[in-house]
Amino acid sequence: MTTRPQADVLRGSLDLLVLKTLSLVPMHGWGISQRIQQMSKGILEVNQGSLYPALQRLEKDGLITSDWGMTENNRRARYYHLTAAGRRALGVELESWKRFATGLDAVLKTT
Amino acid sequence: MSWFSGARTRMQLLFGRRAAESRIDEEVRFHLDMETNRLMREEGLTPNEARRRARATFGGVTQHTETLREGRGLAWLGGMSLDLKLGLRMLVKYPGLTLVGGVAMAFAIWMGAMTFEMVNMIMNPTLPLPGGDRIVQLRNWDVEKNTKEPRALYDFVVWRGALSRVTDIGAWSDQIVNLTGADGDVRPVGIAAISASAFRVASGTPLLGRTLGAADENPGAPPVIVLGYDIWRTRFASDSGVVGRRVQLGDSFATVVGVMREGFKFPVAHDLWRPLQVAGTSTPGEGPALSIFGRLTPGASLADAQAELTVLGQRTSAASPETHKHLRAQVTPYVGSPLEASTSDQMLMFLFNFFAIALLVLLCGNVALLLFARAATRESELIVRSALGASRGRIVAQLIAEALVLGAGAVIVGLGAAGIALNRWAPRFLEINLDTVPFWYQPHLSIMTVLYAIGLTLLGAVIAGALPALKVTRGLGTRLKEGTAGGGGLKFGGVWTAVIVAQVAVTVAFPVVVFYERTELNRIRTFDVGFRSEQYLSLKLDADIGSARSREDTSAQLARLGSRFETLRQRVAAEPGVTGVTFVDHLPRDEHPGAFVELDGSLGTSEPRYVISLAAIDPSYFDVLETPVLAGRAFHAGDVAAGSQVVIVDKGFVDQVMRGANPIGRRVRFARRSRSGEVVTPQPWMEIVGVAKELGMASSVTRERPSGVYQPLSIAREPSIKMVVHVAKGDPLSFARRVRALANEVDARVRLSDFQRLDKVADPMLWIIGMWLRITSVLTGIALLLSLAGIYAVLSFTVARRTREIGVRVALGASRRRIVTAIFRRPLIQVGAGVVAGGVLVGLITVVLSARPDSGSAGLAVAARAFTLGQAGQIAAFAIVMMGVCLLACIVPTRRALGIEPTEALREE
Repeated sequence: MTTRPQADVLRGSLDLLVLKTLSLVPMHGWGISQRIQQMSKGILEVNQGSLYPALQRLEKDGLITSDWGMTENNRRARYYHLTAAGRRALGVELESWKRFATGLDAVLKTT
Repeated sequence: MSWFSGARTRMQLLFGRRAAESRIDEEVRFHLDMETNRLMREEGLTPNEARRRARATFGGVTQHTETLREGRGLAWLGGMSLDLKLGLRMLVKYPGLTLVGGVAMAFAIWMGAMTFEMVNMIMNPTLPLPGGDRIVQLRNWDVEKNTKEPRALYDFVVWRGALSRVTDIGAWSDQIVNLTGADGDVRPVGIAAISASAFRVASGTPLLGRTLGAADENPGAPPVIVLGYDIWRTRFASDSGVVGRRVQLGDSFATVVGVMREGFKFPVAHDLWRPLQVAGTSTPGEGPALSIFGRLTPGASLADAQAELTVLGQRTSAASPETHKHLRAQVTPYVGSPLEASTSDQMLMFLFNFFAIALLVLLCGNVALLLFARAATRESELIVRSALGASRGRIVAQLIAEALVLGAGAVIVGLGAAGIALNRWAPRFLEINLDTVPFWYQPHLSIMTVLYAIGLTLLGAVIAGALPALKVTRGLGTRLKEGTAGGGGLKFGGVWTAVIVAQVAVTVAFPVVVFYERTELNRIRTFDVGFRSEQYLSLKLDADIGSARSREDTSAQLARLGSRFETLRQRVAAEPGVTGVTFVDHLPRDEHPGAFVELDGSLGTSEPRYVISLAAIDPSYFDVLETPVLAGRAFHAGDVAAGSQVVIVDKGFVDQVMRGANPIGRRVRFARRSRSGEVVTPQPWMEIVGVAKELGMASSVTRERPSGVYQPLSIAREPSIKMVVHVAKGDPLSFARRVRALANEVDARVRLSDFQRLDKVADPMLWIIGMWLRITSVLTGIALLLSLAGIYAVLSFTVARRTREIGVRVALGASRRRIVTAIFRRPLIQVGAGVVAGGVLVGLITVVLSARPDSGSAGLAVAARAFTLGQAGQIAAFAIVMMGVCLLACIVPTRRALGIEPTEALREE
């Protein structure tokens, strides 16, 4: 079986990935999708059409905020920042993901 | 925090829809550009290919944009915005309905906003000063008399020295003194003798010079005053060099040390301040009437201050029980509702607001009728929308949105008009109703009132929009199934019938109210007072006679004052152009005191049962008014002496009390009745020595003919009287200045006020009635407009609904009369019922207005009997005229009905 890049990221994990990416540095939407791809070494590919609704959802929930900024190429772009509530949510999500992954791993290793 | 930022995002989306939409577009565009560049850079694609790939990777751009839009709640907003746009379009399409409905709603909102602002201002006054809510008043409340005990000099000194929770404690007393202006003109002005701390408490800073200081309060300190901005401007011509000048105050002088900034009127409505000088010691219960104020210290509450004050009050009560046994020391907010003591007054205020809301509901109910008729004509459109999937809620929301657009226009017009009226009318209204208008009564369009008006608008829009919407959308699905688009599913039911009948009834009744108001206005304006009142100048004379220690002392002071008044009379009478000067205690057409009289050996009964109007006059009164006595004699100097028991009666007395008999030589006496109706303390008998003309012995609003009794007036026994000057040529008011100058020469302490021409006595009342007349006239016009529009709408609706039926009837050869009768029977019965109900209402109004206000239900019965055939005939004639006016609205629909061609009507199917 050949490995192929994950075409989509599960909705729950997309939120987690966005929060994690933004915890490093504020970024625009396209940047976030590129960053996730880079960090996952090309394994995870964000469906660009679901990225913006996710950003919008997180902003509505107060986990991130956004404002206009300039890119290195002097282009106007919408930059997203993590809020304090977002940082807290990231901690909780990470914890829960780790538990989930451990559980999953344990099940899969069972022979 | 997350809730807050979430809410902020939603608010931004709600109010910045356009910005939010362009943000979505820009973000998607940026993303595609970046992805295109990456593909060109990393994979070497051509620009076109790179863009195609970028778009493909992103997915359906339009679809994603829509998803985003929905996620942001913009879809709903888009729908709402469409509704509002559609609503606006409907308003433009039906300008008649827009005008009538808009004017009605605007008037209701205007009325509601005005009432709310005035009631709120009076019921919940706030002090427009920095930290005004911490300024308090301190007082002794007499629990036995249920009133404030004003003699509080002793307590003031104690409280100022001992209270820690209230700081800057000060006091003031009201005085009226003659101030001589820069031009030498002498006029009485209200002056506050006040503690210097007042200027700290009220944050008063001077425009020129300084305010009062602690040193000015020391007894023996040089007399100083601070001028208010208005006095400085009007009496000292805004002279910037006024500080340091000595000005005359009564018979003494004081140095001006400062001028306050515009608007400073503390403690109530003052424009002149002098220091309140308090001697070191004082006795409980003595001294001048004082009002005490202070400011709560930081952190202290009203309850803290009250607890501290209560202890001090109890201590004084224990030490001086003879003066303080019934007194309770209280600390209260500086301004409170003047109606706090009376629940019935509060209820009245509540009723004012209730009335305004009821008016809004009534008017919007009528607008609902119009909107229903219009919605009914759009039934086909609504059925189609329903068929295309619009829910009932969606259609109702659209119709409410239309009413909201109408309401939005109305609230702008209503609030604008309220702003103007509050600026122009409210101050005059307050001046007429209150002796002094405190500085915290500043009628203006407050935020609260604006919010209240917006609330009223929403209520009005829901009534005017939701009622017809719910009615018109009921059973829409069934009608769709039956395929009766444009058919006859909708009917004007019972509710609308009631609305039309009530509306026509009110329309019929309102003009009668206006008619009565106008009649009353004309009666007051054209009242014949019995002499040439326009040639007379009247003014009030009084003086500060100081605090007398005994009755003899008071008599001596009054006698001295009387001699000053007499000297002034002689000086004024000697002026060229003056043909006479006299004195009276109540001016013609002012409110006169009343009394019961008993006639000696009278007309069958000795019960004192006649209510008469009383006035005390100088012996020269009838001569100066050029109205010689009709019988007997006038008063002479001998009658003025104390103990002389003579009176003069007027023609009204002769006709009503004496039933035309000769009164000369008869005796009368006054009596007071106890609450149970028994006669108590009869006064001595007095002989009637003369009969005079009727000279306005009752207030201008009294409709009954008064029975007047004159007593001789001794100016040596009155602290305050009215002087009447006959100036035969020219405007009597122009003589006022000269009278002031003469009075100042005679005695600078004699105060002259209330200068007016005698024919202007009723002017304030005329103004008030005129204001109500204007309001009811507008209301009448609106009621008439709404009625006509309502009838028109109902009939048009009926014709449209029954076009086919009319066509068939015409085809079958029915006569025009029969068609009109058949089609319009129901609407005409409704209008007829409304006119009859209105006629009954008019009858009731007539009966109530004809009743004597002081005679209760018995008066009503008398008035009902007096309700003559003639009056009934007048009302019937008026009802017929109104019916005719209402039928005017039927002309166009009738013509339309009669113009229906049977072939066209049948082809419509």
